[in-house]
Amino acid sequence: MVPTLAGRWQTRILLYVFIGLPVTFLYAMYLTNWRWPPAIDLSAFTDPFVFITAILILGLILDVAYIQAQRFRWEGDWPFAFQFFFSIMEFFAVYVGMEYFGALDYFLPDGRIPFETAAWHFTFVFVPSFIAVLAIVQIFLVRWRYKGGELGRF
Amino acid sequence: MSIEITWRPAENVNDVAPGRITLTGKGPFQIGRSSGSEVLLDNSQVSRKHATIKVEGDVVTLDDEGSQNGTLVRGQRISSLQWRPGVEVAVGPFVLTYRLVESQVPIEATRLPGQDPAARPTFPGRLFDQRQVPFKEIQSSGRMTQEIEYLAIGGGNGSFAWVDHLRIFGVDKKNIRVIGIADNKSPYSKYGRLCRNSQIPDHERIRSNSISTPDNLWGFPGYASRETVRDLARGQLVGLKYVFQVFGEPTVSETYTPRLIDVFQSLDREAKRINWDEMWLAGRVIAIRKTDDERYVIAYRASSESEANNNSPDRDRFIVARYLHIATGYPASNFLDDLQKFRREHPQSTAVVNCYEPHEEVYRTLEQKGGTVLIRGRGIVASRIIQRVYEARQKNPNIQILHLIRNPVTEGSKWDLSQREVYNDTEHQAFNWPKSCWGGTYLRELDAATPEERSKMMASWGGTTTAYRDDWLDIISTGKKEGWFKVFYGNVEGMSERGSRVVTRLQGKANYQESLELVADYIIDCTGLISKIDETPLIADIIKTYDVGRNRVTGKGAEARLAGINVSSSFEIPAMQNGRGHVFASGVVTFAGPHAAVDSFLGLQYAALRSVDHLARLRAPGVSKFGPLRSSYQWLKWCANASP
Ligand SMILES: Cc1cc2nc3c(=O)[nH]c(=O)nc-3n(C[C@H](O)[C@H](O)[C@H](O)COP(=O)(O)OP(=O)(O)OC[C@H]3O[C@@H](n4cnc5c(N)ncnc54)[C@H](O)[C@@H]3O)c2cc1C
Repeated sequence: MVPTLAGRWQTRILLYVFIGLPVTFLYAMYLTNWRWPPAIDLSAFTDPFVFITAILILGLILDVAYIQAQRFRWEGDWPFAFQFFFSIMEFFAVYVGMEYFGALDYFLPDGRIPFETAAWHFTFVFVPSFIAVLAIVQIFLVRWRYKGGELGRF
Repeated sequence: MSIEITWRPAENVNDVAPGRITLTGKGPFQIGRSSGSEVLLDNSQVSRKHATIKVEGDVVTLDDEGSQNGTLVRGQRISSLQWRPGVEVAVGPFVLTYRLVESQVPIEATRLPGQDPAARPTFPGRLFDQRQVPFKEIQSSGRMTQEIEYLAIGGGNGSFAWVDHLRIFGVDKKNIRVIGIADNKSPYSKYGRLCRNSQIPDHERIRSNSISTPDNLWGFPGYASRETVRDLARGQLVGLKYVFQVFGEPTVSETYTPRLIDVFQSLDREAKRINWDEMWLAGRVIAIRKTDDERYVIAYRASSESEANNNSPDRDRFIVARYLHIATGYPASNFLDDLQKFRREHPQSTAVVNCYEPHEEVYRTLEQKGGTVLIRGRGIVASRIIQRVYEARQKNPNIQILHLIRNPVTEGSKWDLSQREVYNDTEHQAFNWPKSCWGGTYLRELDAATPEERSKMMASWGGTTTAYRDDWLDIISTGKKEGWFKVFYGNVEGMSERGSRVVTRLQGKANYQESLELVADYIIDCTGLISKIDETPLIADIIKTYDVGRNRVTGKGAEARLAGINVSSSFEIPAMQNGRGHVFASGVVTFAGPHAAVDSFLGLQYAALRSVDHLARLRAPGVSKFGPLRSSYQWLKWCANASP
């Protein structure tokens, strides 16, 4: 990958909207025993949305650092392996922030999310997102790969 | 393959006319005064049947037919000569040379322009003296064969990318034509030949990315995943390594590159899918003019199946089109000047070859007899040639390699906060440009830059590099240790023949006076495809007629000679616009413009996408906007191998 900063941001938001939110919705439904209409009054339902949004926001901030690191690379690129590694690091950062520093307490009135719940949630979002970046996005958006991950036309 | 023979008056002769003719086929072709001669030299010092030319593949033989005044090379009478391109042969008051051209478009007995105004090429003639040709005149010429919307000129990989995009964006095959002069219709016929000559056999991996897929405009599936799937289907788990390479490259794993044969086969499949053959016209484009009805007229000489018909003026034709795309590739490969001089002076010697011309013979002889090879240049082709000599060495350990490079390199090029790596005096990077030039920050910055900034960027990112490959590094370090690989630095002062060997003299350095002599059985020039784009008459004519601007010359060495023609970010040639008519270009003719890697599969695809997107904005017929739905639908069609 050879992302630009705007490309990182836009792709992240794209994945959040098209994979992160739908998967989180299904996961939240599962956590609330598929109650219909959705239990938006229960924190068991809303917590995953808080968690995945926290990862998005941290990612958007870290993207600035990644793009600086990229300047040290002659190819100006960002290997898939880095993307993979740092995505997992972002998950741990958010989890540690929540668990040990109470960073999300304000948004999680009923307490923190257990590790296993968070880890599965992350896996369900991360795996399809990573595959999308590797293989799916360009099927829909032919210009995306030439634009460093930015959306839209030239 | 054809040969183009040129003759001019010898020095101090001024009463004979120069001329030129292209000959196709094996011959024999006659040089002489009698009217049946293919090379007709009408002068009393030339015998009726003076000499004959035979062509066998790339080997051209010249036999004197017992002529009165003889056939001379450097003043020596010869009876038979293996004639090398560029070597001058004297026949009576004429000096003859030839070059190989790839064309089925034979025997065009045109005279050199400018020498004799009455003898100007009769086609397209005076009609093309005007910058804008009235359509009526084209119609009444009786030579107009077709009117078409989209016309691609070149027929190589660049044309293929453009036509592929047009077809997938919605244009019907009946509205597209492609004109090319290749030996066959395949878009890679010229590319394939250059690869084979420069020692990239079909099974070898090329210098290209997994997602540089000229057969697939989405870049998915890439060549790596296709290879993995194929291997897994055969039960070979090692196939997983290709996708892992892509996952980790270039830092965690060595960069994946596809096999040449896989690229060829994928192109064959796609060509069939988009009906490439049905759009193809064989011919050489001679010139392009704007018409008075916002289109373009293209003068071309169609190839003929039957050689008897070759010279017929019936094959001079016009085609009129609204949208053009020019991708004529490299004009020709040039030798280093001192090597050219050596060849001129030693026409019989076969010891000096250019890596882009056929030279299998060198390796065969080395394998049988052993010997010393001098390799000049340090780019990727040099790496391949060293690998090939190394393979010959496995069969005959009596082979030495001398590697001559101009100067040692210890520091890689720098850009922003990064620096390129150097091993064995050669800068290393995965491809010929940093990856970001194909789709990242560098692409964006270059596109937006001023000409001055562009030349600075290209100078840093470009230059001669080779790919990082463990096997190549191993060959050199083993060779140095065992003493059969030696490196020399310096500029060449002169070359001479010693027996059948060639001596290269290096200039003495300031600190040690003595100059060095390198003696070798063979010299292989790997300094690259040096050529000026205006060596192509077609391009030179466009530049002159329509004041097409040139890009700023950039880079060092070979690249400095390549400044392309000005194109916009959509790869349109602005100076060529004719109302609703538009001309686009891609490939090396646009070098040093908005894109660094114009001469690469992915660069050609990028250019194609930009120009076809532009056509959509112009509401050109049949070209859709190609949004997500259409894109994914067309992708499914690609997977199903269904016509777009
Ligand atoms: C040895 C070698 C290896 C390469 N390896 C790679 C690689 O691994 N990866 C990569 O991405 N790129 C590679 N490239 C670069 C590039 O992708 C190829 O050169 C590519 O084929 C360029 O396409 P093109 O259409 O510009 O030129 P070409 O493929 O050369 O096609 C131009 C065609 O135009 C025809 N033509 C010229 N003048 C006229 C005329 N007046 N009328 C009609 N037809 C005309 C020519 O005969 C030719 O067939 C390589 C290049 C070389 C030389």
